[in-house]
Amino acid sequence: MNLIGRMRPVGGRLRAGLLALSRARLPFPLCGGGWAGRQAGSVGTKSRREGNPASGRDAALMQGAAQSCTLAPLSAGLRPDPPASQGTLPRRGGRENARVLLALALLAALPHPARAAEALVTVQGDNAVEVVDLDAAKVVRRIPVSGSPAGIALSPGRDTAYVTRPDLPGLAVIDLRTDTVTQDLKLPGGPLGIGVDPRAGTVYVADWYAARVLVLRPEGGKLVADGEIAVGQSPSGLAVTPDGATLLVANREADSVSVVDIAARREVARVPVGKHPFGLTLDAEGKRAYTANVTGDDVSVIDVPARREVGRVKTGERPYVVALAGGRGFVTDQYGNSVTAFDLATLKSVGTIDVGDHPEGIGAARDGRHLYVANWGSNTLSVIDAGTLKVVREIPTGDGPRAFGDFLR
Amino acid sequence: MRFMRLAAVAALATVSFTAQAHGPTRQKISESVEIDAPADKVWAVVGNFQDGSWIPVVEKTEGKGGNEPKATRTLTLKGGATVEEELAKYDADKKALMYRINKVDVKTLPVNDYSSNIEVEAEGANKTKVTWRGAFYRGYMNNDPPPDLNDEASKKAVQGLYRAGLDNLKAKVEKGS
Repeated sequence: MNLIGRMRPVGGRLRAGLLALSRARLPFPLCGGGWAGRQAGSVGTKSRREGNPASGRDAALMQGAAQSCTLAPLSAGLRPDPPASQGTLPRRGGRENARVLLALALLAALPHPARAAEALVTVQGDNAVEVVDLDAAKVVRRIPVSGSPAGIALSPGRDTAYVTRPDLPGLAVIDLRTDTVTQDLKLPGGPLGIGVDPRAGTVYVADWYAARVLVLRPEGGKLVADGEIAVGQSPSGLAVTPDGATLLVANREADSVSVVDIAARREVARVPVGKHPFGLTLDAEGKRAYTANVTGDDVSVIDVPARREVGRVKTGERPYVVALAGGRGFVTDQYGNSVTAFDLATLKSVGTIDVGDHPEGIGAARDGRHLYVANWGSNTLSVIDAGTLKVVREIPTGDGPRAFGDFLR
Repeated sequence: MRFMRLAAVAALATVSFTAQAHGPTRQKISESVEIDAPADKVWAVVGNFQDGSWIPVVEKTEGKGGNEPKATRTLTLKGGATVEEELAKYDADKKALMYRINKVDVKTLPVNDYSSNIEVEAEGANKTKVTWRGAFYRGYMNNDPPPDLNDEASKKAVQGLYRAGLDNLKAKVEKGS
């Protein structure tokens, strides 16, 4: 087991992952190319809209279950496999406490890594991940990643990036110490949203063509398929609480958030939210979660322990994802070409900031003083001062920056 | 089997028939043209949302709401197909507008969730640059699209539309000036 991966703890990064991508509500082949419905249903937006996706979806599920996938264990994941029998997931209790103590001791012993603050930006049109030096305000390295990379998450040690490639479909594991892709994984369906358990290092990938999250476990420096967890339709953004106990998943087509008990490996609650929740962001304590509701033009605020929505914030058009800094939430408005800022306590808007064209991913820097926004349409990162709510810089990037997820380190 | 049943129930309970779905990767196209005419003259043509006749394939424009945001228009194309569009933003000072397609058959234009910006910039008293940008998803919303509805096909169709539209706009405005 990857011990280091498990030791990541407490008070760690401000954001567990968030994530996401948009629309699509249709069922999908568990393994590329095998879905009979594709041939039968010929195509056409119209026929699909008027058809009955639910029945097609069942067929896809059944068929997928019967197929052999590139990632074989994923199809096996349809059976309810209790984690206890695998002995791979963290259990809470004495062992957990010991681990936390050990982790704290390690943290105290190790100085903060002396590296520049960086953004890891998926540039979809250029099929690459760009490393942006945030102090120098420029792209300093570029790592080729095919398959229109979109979603990104970082390992607990922040030295490995996991990048989803919806057009492959698959995932790339990037060693950020060497800027090399160390693993190419084919995945079924539409991998887009991605998040990492900050303790166990387990990687969760949302399949937005279906209603499930794929589970990938780090083992010996590689990711190993470890089944799947059923959630709502078209899962997109997801995040794990800092204690590693709960996975939250925004179900875009189900207008809900799935609450998944990680130890039990199953959905234990479903929280209704606004229309088409896409990005999902957790606060540092894992107490509140925020979903950007794409077609509702608002943000849902969720009380995580209570498992219910406690507030709603109006945004600009087509909100995508939320970032948190200095007691405020910042939401990218895709169609508004803006970022809406709101107060986390009052849930009132405190301003709208004009950014580039089609802003998507947004993240807060380590010091919480700046926010970085990936403008898909204008090929830039906008740098926002979290205090003054002004854009203080534009950083050119490659074509189609998305940065869906936890992309700053 | 429990997971499968749960997933099936979830699908039945949550399927939405109104949402617009699409493939996984948004595409973009940008085309521009330089016109030997004042910007005001060019804007008078492309800035009228209720008249799409500068686009060669458009036969008829019917709409309501003028040039206000949320104004709508239905373009009837040569051959009878229609495209329903909505104005999202309109800035007469900047000579820029944004609209989106609310409804189109993918056989007419193989795109989903299409939005577009048109910008008119003066480059001199008698020289104007027009830029037409589009963002959209391909015609087929799922994996393994057929060739006529894949990313390439959607980009090619939009690029063709923009090129023909802008070239025709140039000819039309320069002839009339």
